[in-house]
Amino acid sequence: MTRTLTPPAPEVVDFLTAGIARFTKQDPAAIRPDSVLVDLGLQSIDAVLLSGEVEDHFQIELDPATIFSHETVGSFASDITKRLGAR
Amino acid sequence: MTTWYLGLSTSGHDPALALVDETGRVVFAEATERFLQDKRAWGVVPDHVPHLAAALAAVGAAPGDRIVPATSWASVKADLGLKVHDALLPASDTIWMQGLQAQMQQNAGASLLRLGLARERPEPMRFDHHLCHAVAACHFAPVADAVCLVIDGEGDVGAVSHFRLTDRRLSRGWRSWGPGSLGTFYGWLTGLCGFDWREGEEWKVMGLAACGRADPALVETLTGLLSADRGRLRFADDAAIAAIRAAVEPLARRPDAPVTDAADLAAAGQAAYARLADQVLEAIAEDGPTLILSGGCALNSSYNGTIAGRTGFERVFVPPCPADDGNAIGAALLAWMADTGAERIAFGGGTPFLGSAPRAKTLEAARRAAAAGHAVTDVAGRSAEVVAGLLAQGRILGVMRGRAEFGPRALGNRSILADPRPAGMKDAINARVKGREPYRPFAPVLAEADLADWFDRPQPSPYMSMTLPWRAGVRDRVPAVVHDDGTGRVQTVGPDSAPWMADLVAAFGRETGVPVVLNTSFNIMGKPILHSVEDALGMLATTGLDAVLIEDVLIEKPAHP
Repeated sequence: MTRTLTPPAPEVVDFLTAGIARFTKQDPAAIRPDSVLVDLGLQSIDAVLLSGEVEDHFQIELDPATIFSHETVGSFASDITKRLGAR
Repeated sequence: MTTWYLGLSTSGHDPALALVDETGRVVFAEATERFLQDKRAWGVVPDHVPHLAAALAAVGAAPGDRIVPATSWASVKADLGLKVHDALLPASDTIWMQGLQAQMQQNAGASLLRLGLARERPEPMRFDHHLCHAVAACHFAPVADAVCLVIDGEGDVGAVSHFRLTDRRLSRGWRSWGPGSLGTFYGWLTGLCGFDWREGEEWKVMGLAACGRADPALVETLTGLLSADRGRLRFADDAAIAAIRAAVEPLARRPDAPVTDAADLAAAGQAAYARLADQVLEAIAEDGPTLILSGGCALNSSYNGTIAGRTGFERVFVPPCPADDGNAIGAALLAWMADTGAERIAFGGGTPFLGSAPRAKTLEAARRAAAAGHAVTDVAGRSAEVVAGLLAQGRILGVMRGRAEFGPRALGNRSILADPRPAGMKDAINARVKGREPYRPFAPVLAEADLADWFDRPQPSPYMSMTLPWRAGVRDRVPAVVHDDGTGRVQTVGPDSAPWMADLVAAFGRETGVPVVLNTSFNIMGKPILHSVEDALGMLATTGLDAVLIEDVLIEKPAHP
């Protein structure tokens, strides 16, 4: 589990929310920063594809394991935000 | 004391090691399969102790030197715990491979303990798999700026990565995630054609494709297995793949059926590969006109030879070692760059001759022993002329000179050479030495300066990476190196890149009027390219080879009656 104090950037949260909603076919409004990725029904293959979309959109590099080390949308968003800052 | 950067190919198949010195020069690179004479050396550690010891001795490493190990993967695939994609290849293969990769990643560098070169278990630097492919490829490419594309079975994430080389600095563009792999597709196709990808028999499919006819409907069907979204390959969903398999698998060759029964299927599969690879290239066309292509799929010479001029790319460079063995060089160079802060990837001069040399002591002993039944002649200073003369008389020669090639191709230092003019030469080599399937082609070597006289779409191919069409009027002059579809997987040589082969081709041209020599790897079917002087003499003794040239020592069997 990666722990970080970086607050998640709103555009990252929005991007993840839209992607997860698309993969899991649910209303984005039902997805909140404290939503648990597994509970949202995000399959591992979708988690992999979402990671690729994040790389493309934000022009950062993720490790294949990154998303799986996070429990919640907000925690993953924080990690991405931190990588954006370090870019 | 000095520092050596030890790159290790840790895929679990095709292990290899490479050594880079303090100045960033690749001073040694060799696949484990050569040292062990075990094809692909599945599951053998790339720092296999006797091989590593021999490599360190070859470069002059001394006790007390610092050795910095590095692996060719950033991650352990199995640790992700992802469900294995099994819509094409059986999950059992992938699970087995992931286990090997985990072992290799875990144990990499541990042999340094055994050799007294580490006191604690070394913690290697670890580098992204596709980045290793890209760095190794750029090391062999004599250009400052290019786009670099890696296409293979799978990397740390997906099976396509895009990089840009700018003033010799490499940066990542994008990479595909998720399942979708041309390497996996070709492995599956290899099985359908009655061959075994685990044995590395993709070659046989590519060669067979030239003998068949690609049915357009079948090509369309096969192409449906994958799609390329902005170059990022994705498999179709499981239901679509199942439907395509149901339609195609009845065409599979039964193990007892003749090989050529699979020719049409191979041709359709190769055509589907080309269409999908084209879609990936289209996505990066704006990064042209110079392409550096690597990853295991860059061994598809039939496709490689069609890229320049037809697509948006004008020049294509493929390294001598685009598959996973080559990643040993990538990992070693990345370790050197990380340790020294170097930002540019040095151009290595392009030589693929980075492996072991014949042992002088063994050669001396062999020379005395061989004298019993053979003619032993020192041909120093005139070896190219002597060999050209023997070839012109129809002799089949094994050549073992200088350092071994790194990568799958014999480029003249570990080669069997013959005269390409007699139509029966291919069958003669197969009957007497190689034992390969009769349809498989042998390769031509000629001077780069002569290429346009003999081939359409002429372009440099110093590592036999390009299959090109022979010009229509010359094919009957060299029938033993013209494939069924009128092509040849050509090696181009020049006085700088391969001086001895350039001399040989020129001498053969003076002797016969045809400056083209047949070149095939110095091995027997199913074995790796040979490694030692003893291997060469063993092949002379146990096959129909007429002679071997080891360095400047020519060892000939008694002349035929």
